[in-house]
Amino acid sequence: MMKSSRLFTVAAPVAVGTLFLLVWQIICRVWAIPPYLMPAPTDIGASLITNGPVLLHALRSTLLVTLIALGVSVVVGILIAFLLVQSRLIERSLMPYVIILQVTPIVAIAPLIIILVKTTLMALVICATLIAIFPIISNTLQGLRSVDPGLESFFRMHKASRLQLLLRLRIPTAIPMFMAGLRISSGLALVGAVVAEFVAGTGGNSAGLAYEILQSGFQMDIPRMFAALALITLAGLALFAATAILEQLILRRWHEHG
Amino acid sequence: MTTETVSLRAVEKVFPNGVRGLAPVDLSVRRGELITLIGPSGCGKSTLLKLIANLHAPSTGSVSWWGGNFSSVGTEGRRLSFVFQDPTLMPWSNVATNVRLPLDLDGVPRVEAEARVMPALEQVGLSHAAGRFPAQLSGGMRMRVSIARALVTKPDLLLMDEPFGALDEFTRNKLDEDMAELCKRDGLTTIFVTHSLYEAAFLSSRVIVMAAGPGRIHAEYLIEPSMPRDENFRLSDEFSRICRDLNALLTEVSHLNGQKESA
Repeated sequence: MMKSSRLFTVAAPVAVGTLFLLVWQIICRVWAIPPYLMPAPTDIGASLITNGPVLLHALRSTLLVTLIALGVSVVVGILIAFLLVQSRLIERSLMPYVIILQVTPIVAIAPLIIILVKTTLMALVICATLIAIFPIISNTLQGLRSVDPGLESFFRMHKASRLQLLLRLRIPTAIPMFMAGLRISSGLALVGAVVAEFVAGTGGNSAGLAYEILQSGFQMDIPRMFAALALITLAGLALFAATAILEQLILRRWHEHG
Repeated sequence: MTTETVSLRAVEKVFPNGVRGLAPVDLSVRRGELITLIGPSGCGKSTLLKLIANLHAPSTGSVSWWGGNFSSVGTEGRRLSFVFQDPTLMPWSNVATNVRLPLDLDGVPRVEAEARVMPALEQVGLSHAAGRFPAQLSGGMRMRVSIARALVTKPDLLLMDEPFGALDEFTRNKLDEDMAELCKRDGLTTIFVTHSLYEAAFLSSRVIVMAAGPGRIHAEYLIEPSMPRDENFRLSDEFSRICRDLNALLTEVSHLNGQKESA
């Protein structure tokens, strides 16, 4: 029963995706739409093979920025959440700035960051981090605050130290919400990396997929543009799946019912 | 050593929002007693228990534990454990780690703490579930883990705040029997909060009937402690008589509340 349900979870979206690609292919072929307007999935596949080495190199650059930004978001986001949870005064003083950071469009401030920061990689990482960090901060903060009052009383009754409360109660309590934040942030880090690459327009050896999309647009090589886009989508899905698997591994025992 | 385990002198509790949770209360609990606090919602049963657990500070009056203040609680012969309404287990830890928690917090060496976990689990009939996680247990089993966690410290005073309120009748009766046996065998001083007069009649050597608005002690009812607390006791005429008496006291309390509300 369990096995068939899991199979269904995978098979159903794969079937929908296959059907979508099939309809797309048929429309392109039946109406003879030129590839520079709307390439068929087979054109994109062919471009992916032809431009494979270049696109994979670009994917590597984008993923490097994404993963560094995600790592920085996790470390800095957790530290900020720990700082904010220390007292209501600290939270009230700093939280508005965290929100300002979240609501300011990164596209608007990315050029400034790219001008101010000398290393391109660092500028890209900062832009992606600014987008990815908010869910980590807000979810971790919420998690640290959502301690079971009964358990907290139990710890207090046994005269637990602040460190014991943090390590044995607050941090484990925050893990499910942190994991949910991580899942959102992983996607946002990729979005941030691509947006930053668009703004920076960096080429050369460190060119990312956004640069490849821009170049393909200039050269009217639309299948290559879609191929790069497909790689970004696949990378996003892989990141989402990786964080979901990590979450499942860590939280599996919490949700099993006897 | 004093036979008085805990003593409350004119203890009053007014909450920060101005609500008077408890009017001045005097209560003395002797070693080996099993006391139940019973009364309508809002009569301050849980507040009284939390004052005894030092989870609330009294607004006026004083609480003393074994004749001293709370700083001496936790030392040999003055250990206190609390069982909450909910099991309040750590979902990220298995049963054994949950039971070991108070020992870890009290700084008991790991080897000694681990050695004490299994006997505590055996006391509640859960030695087979040491490696399981709370989500893998039924409601009754989780409550048993919570009791094992309270027993592992070898408490001298056990406080229980409606621990079986959410359980079905059958499981509740079974746990009541186990509790009665445990308390009797170990001479454990226990203060038990309940909504059920049958539970109070079954477990207690003394029932404190409380009234609401503000919470206060209305009456005390003594039950012969030597009576065997088993299924036969539950079916006996004596048990029926105790339940009738307690019911009469609770009816008095509800009439008092009714008069107060209509006044």
